[in-house]
Amino acid sequence: MPVESTLSSDGKTLTIGISGRFDFEIVQEFRASYGDQKDVSFIIDMRATEHMDSSALGMLLNMRKSLGDNTKIAIINCRPQIKKILTISRFDKKFDIE
Amino acid sequence: MKILVVDDTEANRKLLAWMLEDDGHEVVEATNGEEAVELFKSATPDLVLMDVMMPIMDGFEATQAIKEHLRGTHVPIIFLTALSDDASLTKCLSIGGDDFLSKPINEQVLQAKIKAHSRIKDLNEQLNRQNKELTRLHQFTLREHEIAKNVFENALAASILDSKNTRHYISPAATFNGDLLLVTISPSGGLYALMADFTGHGLPAAIGALPVSQAFLDAAQQGASVSSIAREVNRTLEKFLPDDMFAAAAIAELNAEGNRLTLWMGGMPDALHTDASGALKQKIPSTHMPLGILEDDEFEREANIIEVADGDRLYLYTDGIPESLNSEGEMYGENRMLDHFDGASSDPLTSLIESVNRFTGHKDQNDDITLLELICKPVEAAVSGDASVLNLELALPWTLHMTLTAEEMKKPTSPVAQLVDMISSAPGIESHKDYLHTILAELYSNALEHGILGLRSDLKKTEDGYLEYYQQREEKLQQLSCGTLDITVSFRVEGRKGYLSLQLDDSGCGFDVAHRNHSTDEDSFGRGIDLIETLCDRVSYSEGGTRVEAEYTIHT
Repeated sequence: MPVESTLSSDGKTLTIGISGRFDFEIVQEFRASYGDQKDVSFIIDMRATEHMDSSALGMLLNMRKSLGDNTKIAIINCRPQIKKILTISRFDKKFDIE
Repeated sequence: MKILVVDDTEANRKLLAWMLEDDGHEVVEATNGEEAVELFKSATPDLVLMDVMMPIMDGFEATQAIKEHLRGTHVPIIFLTALSDDASLTKCLSIGGDDFLSKPINEQVLQAKIKAHSRIKDLNEQLNRQNKELTRLHQFTLREHEIAKNVFENALAASILDSKNTRHYISPAATFNGDLLLVTISPSGGLYALMADFTGHGLPAAIGALPVSQAFLDAAQQGASVSSIAREVNRTLEKFLPDDMFAAAAIAELNAEGNRLTLWMGGMPDALHTDASGALKQKIPSTHMPLGILEDDEFEREANIIEVADGDRLYLYTDGIPESLNSEGEMYGENRMLDHFDGASSDPLTSLIESVNRFTGHKDQNDDITLLELICKPVEAAVSGDASVLNLELALPWTLHMTLTAEEMKKPTSPVAQLVDMISSAPGIESHKDYLHTILAELYSNALEHGILGLRSDLKKTEDGYLEYYQQREEKLQQLSCGTLDITVSFRVEGRKGYLSLQLDDSGCGFDVAHRNHSTDEDSFGRGIDLIETLCDRVSYSEGGTRVEAEYTIHT
């Protein structure tokens, strides 16, 4: 599964792992992964993400819009090239990038 | 049993043969020493009855020849002698005989002696068999160790122990080391180090090193954080090792600038942080349990972050150093250790090791010893002959052209990945692969989606519209019957730099170059062009928006 979401044992954190390419091919799956979750904070684990493109950036922004600015969304374990894409796009303003 | 009877007097031989055959033995006969040696070789008897005085070759000489021929295996030789002086009897035994019988032969004594020697022979054969088996097993074990050692060396080969930033000392107590030390560079240009001390030592302890090194090197290659690496290694150990086996460990990361250390330590002796002169700044204690004990969900991943000054050093070591014993059974101890970190010794690593060796006095080491010195300065990876660096002297210019038809654009896998693989196989490009992939993927998406399929970005303004956009993309692509997309990539060298020019021409209607949108922070679209413009030095549109040219610079 390219998109895998797991809820922590206390039910407060949802970790979404994305493996392989993060692009429009997984737009539906990605949206479904956070779909109707309420009152949780999110971690997007990019340790297995090899590439991301601008459509993935759009998907992340849609997630932010849909969840509201008060929901914590952290993006973790980015490879340098992915981190660079996130930095270029100033995503640190809207997400906690570890 | 088969018995060789040696006597030059026929009457004696016949008498003996009669007694022995009567007793159920098989008898072969020789008339002198020389014949006896020959017959011994061909008939391989189990016991020899040897007369002393014979023509041609006497019993002493024949016995020596036979014993020499036997080389360690045991066949008893009993002398038959009429001589009774002590000197002659002693000679019988000293030249290799096993016993003697006085002539005339008493049948009962003969039978008793044959029985006794047959028992000795059996015991001897048993011993020989066991010896052979032991030798075979020993050889086998040596061979297995050799193979295992080889596997270990290969598994650990990806680690670079000595770089500009690290020095180390490793001294296992046995062939296999229960301590593990790995150093590798991170994708972001920093350095990772792992030191682990498994319970016990020797082969059982070393077994844990294989999965741990694999987990560590994999996670390091992905650029994972120290706490994630610790967790990953913990998970691996928990999975592979029996419950009573675990590893004290320290995992450190030095960032590329060399001014920040991240350290996770579990069950290890205090790490020592010194200044550039080797004077102790602080002791850093372990705050966690060793790896391989806690379940994944109980695992504590908090790591220490230490800001360090240029030239500062970090010393990690296993308890083999403070617990080294001298001949009186006294431990080396922490105080003796700390003496080397007062700033007086400019090279604590060497002086400490020399001191420990003097203390133990070359006595057998009681535990594995490992010591690492991490020097805090900008990381210079000691990777020699890196093939990914562009060698301008050798680089040749080239051009790659690809024309994609509608059918080819419909293929389920993007042509970008294939194209990037081709480009990356050219010398010097490999290390730029990821950025090139990003650039080409964005250029390709734009040309396909806006140029050929005529999709409009403003559809992406809402979340539902975003999904709608990609649904339309799929539908329009499937219906596409004509149209072409030309991709040209060329490489050239100018001065001290290499340049990759990327050009895409699509057969679509083009777009209004002058009025293309720059995205705001809120927009979930229009970010591709911004990305391309940041990664490339030059991007331009022409031919009414159907051509885009971008140039990427490869610095050496």
